[in-house]
Amino acid sequence: MNLGPPIPARSLWRRAPWGLILVALLLTAVGILNLASASRTADASLWTSQLVWVGGAYVVVLLLLAVDYERLYQLAWPFWILVVALLVAVELRGEVAMGAQRWLVLGPIRLQPSELAKLAVILVLARLYEDDGEKPEGYGLVELWRPALVVGIPAGLTLVQPDLGTAALIGAVAGTMVLVARVRTGTLAILGAGGIVAGVLSWFFVLREYQKKRVLAFLDPEADILGSGYHANQSMIAVGSGRWAGKGWGQGTQTQLSFLPEQHTDFVFSVFAEEWGFRGGALLLAAYAALCFMGLKIAAQARDRHGAFLAVGAVALIFWHTLVNIGMVTGLLPVVGVTLPFMSYGRSSGLTTVLAIGILANVGARRRTS
Amino acid sequence: MRLPGSGNVDHGLRRRILVYGVAVGLGLFVLLGRIWYLQIQRGEEFSAKSSGNFIKEIRVPADRGMILDRRGVRLVDNRPSWDVYVTPAFCGDCEEVLGRLAAYLALDAEERMRLDEQVRKARGLQRFQPILVRLDLDRDQLDVIEANRDSLPGVDVVSTPHRDYLYGTLAAHMIGYLGEANAEELERFRKAGLSVMLGDYVGKTGVERRFEAQLRGRDGIQRVVTDARGQRIPGLEGLIPRSERFVPSVPGHNVVLSIDARLQEAVEEIFDVPAGAVVVMEVNTGYVLAIASRPTFDPNRMTGRISREELRAISEDPLRPMLFRPVQSHYPPGSIYKVIASLAAFEHGFAGEVHCGGGYTLGRRRWRCHKESGHGWVSPEEALQVSCDTWYYAAADRIGIDALADMARRFGLGAPTGLDLGWEVPGIVPSVDYYEKNVRGGYMRGYALNTVIGQGDNNVTPLQMAVVYAAIANGGTIYRPQVVRRIERPEGYVVQEFLPEVRGRIDVPKASLDRVRKGLEMVVETPGGTAYAHRILGRRTAGKTGTAQVVRIGSVRQKVEEMEFFTRDHAWFAAYGPAEEPEVAVVVLNEHGGSGSRAAAPYAMRILERYYQILEEDRAGPPSPEKIALPPRRAPRPAPVEEGAASG
Repeated sequence: MNLGPPIPARSLWRRAPWGLILVALLLTAVGILNLASASRTADASLWTSQLVWVGGAYVVVLLLLAVDYERLYQLAWPFWILVVALLVAVELRGEVAMGAQRWLVLGPIRLQPSELAKLAVILVLARLYEDDGEKPEGYGLVELWRPALVVGIPAGLTLVQPDLGTAALIGAVAGTMVLVARVRTGTLAILGAGGIVAGVLSWFFVLREYQKKRVLAFLDPEADILGSGYHANQSMIAVGSGRWAGKGWGQGTQTQLSFLPEQHTDFVFSVFAEEWGFRGGALLLAAYAALCFMGLKIAAQARDRHGAFLAVGAVALIFWHTLVNIGMVTGLLPVVGVTLPFMSYGRSSGLTTVLAIGILANVGARRRTS
Repeated sequence: MRLPGSGNVDHGLRRRILVYGVAVGLGLFVLLGRIWYLQIQRGEEFSAKSSGNFIKEIRVPADRGMILDRRGVRLVDNRPSWDVYVTPAFCGDCEEVLGRLAAYLALDAEERMRLDEQVRKARGLQRFQPILVRLDLDRDQLDVIEANRDSLPGVDVVSTPHRDYLYGTLAAHMIGYLGEANAEELERFRKAGLSVMLGDYVGKTGVERRFEAQLRGRDGIQRVVTDARGQRIPGLEGLIPRSERFVPSVPGHNVVLSIDARLQEAVEEIFDVPAGAVVVMEVNTGYVLAIASRPTFDPNRMTGRISREELRAISEDPLRPMLFRPVQSHYPPGSIYKVIASLAAFEHGFAGEVHCGGGYTLGRRRWRCHKESGHGWVSPEEALQVSCDTWYYAAADRIGIDALADMARRFGLGAPTGLDLGWEVPGIVPSVDYYEKNVRGGYMRGYALNTVIGQGDNNVTPLQMAVVYAAIANGGTIYRPQVVRRIERPEGYVVQEFLPEVRGRIDVPKASLDRVRKGLEMVVETPGGTAYAHRILGRRTAGKTGTAQVVRIGSVRQKVEEMEFFTRDHAWFAAYGPAEEPEVAVVVLNEHGGSGSRAAAPYAMRILERYYQILEEDRAGPPSPEKIALPPRRAPRPAPVEEGAASG
C-alpha cells in the first residue's frame, strides 16, 4: 500500500472538514465570550490573552494541514519519551501550585507536561494499532502489556504530582482507544474487576487527603457546605438558578458576586449555565455532540488505521474532558480539576484542544474518498 | 520497515467506532438530563438558594419606647451609639486587622486578648457572626475608622439606638436598666412573640423589665446585595423585589409614669443619706409620685457601659447599691407600726388611759419605755403623740399578738404590695403561729410586746408603710401602689391605662380611725409631739416617727470601721398631708440614721414642703409648653359639629 501521490494544497483546502472546524471555532468563540463574563470580577485581560493564544494556535494548526499526519507516526515515540522526561523533570523540580507539582518553567514558558502526555499517548497508541492491523479475535490480557506501559508510565507520573483528574483522563482516552482496537470479552471482565480492586486499593495507598475529601464531599455534598462541598454546592446553585432562560450575560449572581469558585477554569460551564440557562446549556451540549460525531465520522472514513486511531483519540480527549468537567460541575462526579475544552481558561489545555482539532482536520482532509 | 497507510480501516473497526459514537451520545445525553434536572426540575429551589447567597438581611432595630413622667417630661429616650464589630469570616488576616483596630481605638491588652480569643475560637458558621469590638465610639474614633475603611476588611460600624437615661441616677431603681438578654430571657421573650436576638439589650430591672414587651417595638429588615465575602455591592438592588427591600420597624410604646419628675428630683436632692428609701404616694389613688432608694447607681453605666471593676465594686459594696429598698428589703418598723397597734387595741376594747412609769413588767422582765422617767397618765392619742411604749405594752399584753397580726394583714403587711417591678419581699407579720413554726422555744407572751413597738421579727417594707399611712389618710382603702399611669403609642394614642386599683379595706369604725389621725396630727402639730420641731408653718401634717433598733446585724459582712454604722438604729418617719384633707403619704427610712425625729422627719417634711410648692406652681398657671410634652391625646375623634352655626 502506498499513500499515492500527495494531494495538492488547494484540493486539501477544499476537502478539509469545514463543518467540524466551524463548530470548533464557534465553541471557541462562545468560550471566549463566556470567559469575558467570568473574568469580569477578576483580571479583565484574561479573555483577550486567551483569544490571542488560541487564535494563534488555530492559525498554526490550519497551516499545518499541508503537512501529512503521517509525520506523527515518526514523531510518536520521540514525543512520548520527551513527555515522560518532562514529567520526571516536573517531579524533580517543578513549580508547586495549589498543592501539586504541575508546572515546569522553561524561560518564559510555563509548561504543564501532563497536558502533553494525553497527546503523546494518543500518538503512540495510534502508531501501535496501525502497526498491528486488525485483530479479529481481539486482544487478550497479556497482549495488553504494551498499551499498559505506554499509558501507565505517564499516567502514573501524573498521578503522583498529584493530579488525579488528568491521570484519570489519560487512562480514559487510552482506554477508549484500546477498546476501539478490540479487547476480548473475558479480558474485559477481568479488567473491570481489576479496576474495582485498584480503586479500593488506591483509596488507602494512593489518594491524598484532599482528594479523599473531594470524593467524600461528592458522596455527601451537604455534610460540609463551607468546606470540601462548598465548590460543588455553589456550582450546582449556579447551574440550577440559571433555569430555562438564564440570568443573561454578565448577570449571573453566583458568578459576578464571586460565590462560584474557579469560575474561569474548572467551573466555567457553571458560569455559562447560570447566564444562558437550560436553552444555552442544551445548545452547547449539542455542539459538543456534533463535534464528537463529526470527529468519529472522520475516524471511520480515515485513509488508514493510523488516522482512524488518531481521530478516535482526539474525539475521546474532547469527549472525556467534557463529560468529566460538566459531570463534576453539576454534581454528578467528584471535583477533580478537569478543564472544559474550548471554554476553560488556560494555555496548556487550550493548546491541547486546538491540537486535537488540528489532528481531526488533518485526518479528515486526507480521508478516503470512495 | 512499515509502509505508510498499510492498515486498512476495515468493517470491524468502523463498527466499533460507531459503538463508541453511541456511547458518546449517551454520555452527553446524561449531561443534558442532568442540567434539565438542575435547571428545570429544581430550578426554583436553586434560584432561592442563589438569592439566599447574595441577599443579606440587615436588621433595622426598632426604637425603644420612651419613659415619661406624669406630665410627659422625658426621663428616658434613645440616642445613636456607634458600635464596632468584626466578622472573622470576612477579615482575612484577622490578626492584622485587629492590630490596626486596637491602635485606632486604643484597646487595652485585656480587650485585645478577649478579641483574639473570640476570633480564633469561631468555627464554621460561627465565623459569620459579628463580634463586638467596642460600643459607643466617640466622634474622633468614628472618623478614624471611616477614614481607614479599606484597610479594615470585615470591620463594620453599626449605629444602634442606645438607651439614654437623661437624668442619670434619677429614680434609677424604679426605672431600671438594660442588659444583654441571657438564654432564659431570650426564650421567655420569644415565647411571648417578641423579636429578641442574641446580644439584644432587654430590660433587666424596674419598669424597663416589667414593660419590656410594650417598650420593645418590632424590628424591621433591610435586604441588600452582598458578594461572597459579605461586602455590600451597591447598585444591584434590582435583584431584590422592591417590596422586599425594606420592611420598616415599628417603634415601641412610651410608658408614662405616675412619677412627678420635679418631686422626684427634689427627693433625690433632699434625701442625702448613705442608705435608705423614700416613697411619696397619692393616698386616694395609689399612684407613686416619687420613689427613691439609697445608695443608687447610674443606669447609663449599667446599660452595657460598665467595666468589670466597677461592677465588682458594686457587687462588693456592703450597702448594696442595686437593692431597690422600698420593696426589695424589709426592716423593723419601730414606732411607725403603732398606728396598726392602736387600731387593733381599739377593736379589742382597749382604748383607755394607761399610766406610764417608764416601763411595763411582764413576768420577771421589765419592758422599758423610751422615756425612762415615764409619761404619767397617757391617752391613746397621746400615746401616739409622744410614742409612749408603755401604753402599747399594756395593749399588746391585753389583746395578744394575733390581734396585732390580724390588723397588720388587713393593712397588707406580710404580702407584696403588688407594685410588680420584681423581687418584692413580703415582710414578716409575727403571730403565735409564726413563732411556733420559726423560733426555737415557740411563742412567748413577750413577743407581743416586742411586736407592738415594731421590733423583733416584725418586718415591713417602706412601700408597705406608705400603703398603710395612705389607708389611714383615705379612710381605710388599700390601694395597689402603681408607678405607671398609661402606655401610649409614640404619637400619643393611649394603648393601655392603669386606673387606681383597690386591693381591700381595713374595715375599722370611723371613730377609731379619727382617734389615730388625731394622734398622728398631734405628733407634728402639738408641742411635745416627736416631730413638732419639724412642722411646716401654714400646713397641717399628720405623721409618726419611728426608731427601730437593729437587733440583728444583718448578713452583710462588714469591715471594722463600718461596725458602728451598721449597728445604729433605723430612723423612720411616715406621714400624710394635709392633715385635714390628705393628698399624699410620705415614708422616709434612713437606714442606720439614728432617731426618727432627728434623722427621718426633717427629710419627710422638706419633701412635703416641695410637694405643696409644686402644687402651688401648677395652680398658678399652666406649665410652659417647652418644659413639658403635650398632654396625651386620645384616638382621633371627628370634630364636633358646632350647634347653631347654621342658623347664626
